[in-house]
Amino acid sequence: MRRSGRPSPWRRQDMDTPDSGGMTPLGRKTAETGINFTSTTRFSRGLTFIRTHTLFGQSPTRRIIPQTSLLQENADPQKIAFLLRKQWTLYSVTPMYKFSYGNLKEYSRLLSAFVAAEKQKGLAVEVGNDLGIKVTLSTLSGLKGTDQDQVAILVQIASRSQLPFENAEDKVVWSGWFCCISGDDLLESVPEDFTCLSLFLANGAESYTAIVGSWFQKTFDCYFSRLTISPLNLAWMAAMWTGCKVDSHMAATELVFSVPCIPQSLDISYAIHPEDAKALWDTVQKTPGEVTQEEVNLFMDCLYSHFHRHFKIHLSATRLVKVSTTIASAHCDGNIKILHSKHLIGVLTLLTELAISQIQ
Amino acid sequence: MSASGRRGALDSGFTMDETVAEYIRRTVLKIPRHEIMEMLTMWEFLSKTQLQTINVHQIKERISQEVVELCEENSASIKQAAILDMIYNHTYRNKKVWTVYQMTKAAGEETDSFNLADFKYKFKRSLRSALKNVTINFREYEDNAIWIRIAWGTQYTKPNQYKATYVVYHSQTPYVFISSLRSSLPLLCQALVHASNYHDIHEMELRSRCIDSLKDIVFKRYSQTFQTYHPRPLQERNVPPEKVDPRIIQENKREKERIQSVNQEVFGEGLQPKIEFAQYKLETIFKGEPEMDILTEKEPFRCVVKFSSPHLLEALKSLAPAGMADAPISPLLTCIPQKARNYFKIKERKGILSASCLGP
Repeated sequence: MRRSGRPSPWRRQDMDTPDSGGMTPLGRKTAETGINFTSTTRFSRGLTFIRTHTLFGQSPTRRIIPQTSLLQENADPQKIAFLLRKQWTLYSVTPMYKFSYGNLKEYSRLLSAFVAAEKQKGLAVEVGNDLGIKVTLSTLSGLKGTDQDQVAILVQIASRSQLPFENAEDKVVWSGWFCCISGDDLLESVPEDFTCLSLFLANGAESYTAIVGSWFQKTFDCYFSRLTISPLNLAWMAAMWTGCKVDSHMAATELVFSVPCIPQSLDISYAIHPEDAKALWDTVQKTPGEVTQEEVNLFMDCLYSHFHRHFKIHLSATRLVKVSTTIASAHCDGNIKILHSKHLIGVLTLLTELAISQIQ
Repeated sequence: MSASGRRGALDSGFTMDETVAEYIRRTVLKIPRHEIMEMLTMWEFLSKTQLQTINVHQIKERISQEVVELCEENSASIKQAAILDMIYNHTYRNKKVWTVYQMTKAAGEETDSFNLADFKYKFKRSLRSALKNVTINFREYEDNAIWIRIAWGTQYTKPNQYKATYVVYHSQTPYVFISSLRSSLPLLCQALVHASNYHDIHEMELRSRCIDSLKDIVFKRYSQTFQTYHPRPLQERNVPPEKVDPRIIQENKREKERIQSVNQEVFGEGLQPKIEFAQYKLETIFKGEPEMDILTEKEPFRCVVKFSSPHLLEALKSLAPAGMADAPISPLLTCIPQKARNYFKIKERKGILSASCLGP
């Protein structure tokens, strides 16, 4: 799933052109002009949602270390386990207009019909045949940072089993979920009709992601865009996640760099033994309860200088593209994999913050 | 099967084995269309008239079927099928990953003159004495390369032709290149040592896809660097003077020239051997800049660094001119061809930091 790295929002007006084929797969249309805020009056209110948490969209200079918050009691362990150890593609979502938690069944029905219709476009299939596709929307309870956060929503596309007997299981072919963890710090007073579920994670065929996304965009007048992660934020993740205490088996902290501007491509993987990486971070991280930009910079500079000492190569001149730790791994194209339920909320808090600052 | 084919088979009283037929069919399917005729000609198993009957402009399934029918006429056995496979793998030898092994003689032993028939006989005898179900084939090429193909079975099962091991032995050297070896390494090593009249064999820390480059490295066929004390000034080379606008001043011209010159010295002037990766296991003590005051323990800072590129040495050579590495770049990287290895374990040496390339 390599992408150019630029966010590629769906263009809402393109949805209506007849030859767009309905399916506008993500990544094919690159945005040159960015988000068009002035198209509808409802949309133009988007700008006032974001508290000026950061000046001119800069990265914050300090972040609170999330306590390993246990998931709230009503979390379904099976559903939570489903979210772990999977590769998710990240998107930021603008607030949804007139989304109602009471209508999930209705939305499931409408979305099923929409997906079936989109999939059938161009195929000579008899009318009424729903291709055995079933879409379900459900809530993901327990995924909240604060009580003000909206309840997370899970969308799943399952293909109905072709087997004749009754209790044959449906196979899930695509999943996507919306959440917003501790987003209330960053979102100002949200008008009543809007639901803020700023982070969207998708797993499965890109064609399905495009279809589901375009339905949400049309139905709730919102806007999805790929959430890419800058090298700066990847460095934050490397530092913060290396510092997390893990009871079980620790995996190496691995940083992957890609070298630009040379004729042959070159990738450098720098994997540090987890105990040694944590020991280094513990000597760097001094402020209790929070992490500062200086500490992240110092941590990275230490790693760069140890590398330079051996190879005489300036890693700081290369591009950090991927970070893997015991807790989670993240790729600059906007892919994430979370490995421990204990740190799920912490990781989602950081991603929610990135999503909201991208909407800004 | 065509009627004529069957007639031919019945006449000779031979029915080609189904597994052989299938193996030939699948091998031909692998060959790209434009190479088929050439490889079948090289094979020298089908006659000129037979080759002329093959139509290479139909779909590959039909071509391979026709070849199988002709093989049926000629009563092909597994031996011929194996030779066709060897021809294919020799042409596409750079698709496999090759590991280099070096054989050694016991102290005082003389090098006997090489006898090919003797080698083959001893090799087959050694393998067959341990394992009844093996298919062994030899093919000699120019540059004294002997290709050996081994398909492994067990005591109760026939050899698996689809998972054959390939060995390339240059009889005038102690080097052997082995690919696709899953198990049975000790058996193979024993057979090689016995057949070639050596005493012992060990695996070198050298692995790559490009077997020709591996040969260049171990046979020292690349342009070697000579460690001169005074680098040659650029004027000695034939650089035609450029017609540049005299108002354009190149900053750091001297430094750029110095970098180029030093880079050429450490890498050599010719094309670098082609390898795809290099791996360094570092167990040196962490030492940051003095002002960092970090990690004052004397424990090793354990990391594993892996470089990968389609053409690693060329990529590394371009780093210093691109400004991403110092010139000269670390000898840990430039020593790869000389030391004939791309796996290293670096430990701290007492006193000054240096690359002590210890064995595994």
